This record gives sequence, C-alpha cells and structure tokens, in this order.
Amino acid sequence: MKKILIGIIVALTLLLFWVLIVPQTADKHALSEPSESRGGDFTLQSAHGPVALHDFKGKVVLLYFGYTSCPDICPTSLGFTSQALATLDKTELDKVQMLFVTVDPARDTLDKLKSYTGYFHPSIMGLSGTPEEIAKAAKLYGVGYARQDTGSAGGYVVDHSAYTYVIAPDGNLLKTLDHGAPPAQVVETIRAALKKG
Amino acid sequence: MTGKFHSLRIAACMMGTLIAVPALAGTAAESISVDNPYVRIVPPGMTNTGAFMAIKNADGKDHKLVKAESSASKVTELHTHTNEGGVMKMRPVKDIEIKAKGEAVLKPGSLHVMLIGLKQELKVGDNVAITLTFEDGSSKKVEVPARMIQTEMKMEMKQEMMHDHKNMH
Repeated sequence: MKKILIGIIVALTLLLFWVLIVPQTADKHALSEPSESRGGDFTLQSAHGPVALHDFKGKVVLLYFGYTSCPDICPTSLGFTSQALATLDKTELDKVQMLFVTVDPARDTLDKLKSYTGYFHPSIMGLSGTPEEIAKAAKLYGVGYARQDTGSAGGYVVDHSAYTYVIAPDGNLLKTLDHGAPPAQVVETIRAALKKG
Repeated sequence: MTGKFHSLRIAACMMGTLIAVPALAGTAAESISVDNPYVRIVPPGMTNTGAFMAIKNADGKDHKLVKAESSASKVTELHTHTNEGGVMKMRPVKDIEIKAKGEAVLKPGSLHVMLIGLKQELKVGDNVAITLTFEDGSSKKVEVPARMIQTEMKMEMKQEMMHDHKNMH
C-alpha cells in the first residue's frame, strides 16, 4: 500500500515537473537567455558604418537592447534617458553616448533605427548586425531576448531585457539601471560615471 | 405541438429575464468612469502605440473590459506586460478586470489598449476615440488625447506631487 502511495506521489511530481517545465521550453524561440552581465567590447553596424564600444573610450556609454516595433517598453526607456540627456549641459553631453542595439534585425533597418532613435534624442545611435553579432553583444551584457508569436495582429513581439547598461569611460560596466529608472536617477548615474573618467 | 410552444415560451421568458435583469441593475458602462486617458505619440514611421487610462468602477460588483475599438487604427487589442527577471514580455489579454469599487490602471509597462496599424500619424492636439466594451455588451466611448512621452512624464510627476500634497494634509 505504502509503495503504491509513494509511486503515485512520484508520478504526480514528475507530471507537475513536466507541466511546469516542458511547455515553456517548447513554445519559446529563445535567441539568448538572460544571464549575468559582465560587459565587454563589441562591434556592430550603425547608419554611418561600423561602430565598436572602444570607439567611445573616455565617454560614458549608456547601452540599451530593444527594437523599434516595441510599442511601450523601449519608448519608455528611451523617453526617460532622452529626458536625462536633455538635462545635461553641453560639456557633459559631449562625454556621453547612448547606444540602442536592435534585437530585431529582421525588421529594423539602419535607416529605421536612425529615425527612431533621433526622435528621442539626436545623439542616440542605433546599432544592428547579423543575428550572431547581436547575440554575441547581448551575451556579454546578459541580455535575454526571444521572438514570440503571440497571436496579436501587430505581428511578432520580441521579449527582451529592459535594463540600461552604464559603461564607465574606461570601457568597464559600471552599473545596470532598471526599466523605468526616472530621468533624475539616470542623470545622477551619468554624473557619477563621468567623475570616474 | 403545445409542448414545443411551451418550451418556446419558457425560452422567451428566460431571454427576457436575461435582458431585463442587467437593465434593472444598470449596465457596466453606467458604473464605469475613465480618468486621465492618453495615447502615446510614437516616433515617425511607427504604426503601433499604446493608450493608457485609469478605469474606475463605482459599482458594488466586478466588471470586465472585454474589448476596445478605435477607428484610428486597423486593429485594437488589450495587452499586458509581465516582467520576468528583467525580461519584459508583452502579451494580448482576453479581458481586464475592474474590481467592485476599484479601478484598473492601464499604464506604461503594464496593461494597455494597443492600437495596431495607426491610419495616420498622431500629433499633439489630436484626439483618438476609443470605444470600451464591457462584459454585458454595454460600451463607453472615450476621447483620448495624444501626448508626447516627455509630456506624459511631466503629467505623471505633477500628479504624484499633487498626491503627496494631499497626503500631507
């Protein structure tokens, strides 16, 4: 009797495990899993040619991964950051570079990225690359993203990490800002990072 | 024959009751009010955007927003966001519950009305008409002003300040 009971418990546990784990891995087109953010150099394409992180040595870099058809999360992040950039004086602004890396290279052309980022702030640079190049850069920063077909008429969405990575003038990752970090906090972080340079 | 007629009569009575009861109690739309609605102006070339608002329910029972429609876009859907370990996931939802004497807050990074395929670019000063339909089929038309992201943030801060101010007294 006891053996049957244990058998049933084991079977139920396995069933629960299967229900919880299996469907998630089955319906997800994971392009990159979220992981620890270590930082590091990368080279991608901008509308004006190739751009590497080390090109901005001496500047504070704000790095964000998103996509232009993102209707809410990316505009909120970029809106807050652009508000912060608008608060900086010219000498400060000259030492800051915001980079927006697409996680949807299939739909985001370099021109589209340029007009999209320009809407928020003229200094923001949009970057793309091959899916492999983007995945490599994303991995360095622990960015997770996955294409999802949700059945919405708006086409597929790309789930993605919504952090802003703050890179110090020496190229090292300094801080990770949460999604929706208010402009005042972004300004404070930029100014603290500038002092490190 | 009479049996058939009888059951038809019962069905008619039931139908009548179904229609009459909600009418007596007032429709969902009658107890719903919408606060601070706005639709976000998107960068040039972008055709999808979100509309946000606080939907308040003065009724003693829960209601549900089941549909949103607008002539400003090709398709209008109800969506939400979830944050899973920093990864933001946007998904369509079947309905949005508005608790009795409570409210459902549609805001960036959370629940929103998604306008897909905007027929024309939104500018400051534009209004978008959105019709909200509730679980009993009743509906409410809301005039939603278009706002820039920067203005949204200022309005939110102002509201928070007003809120803090109120709390001080």
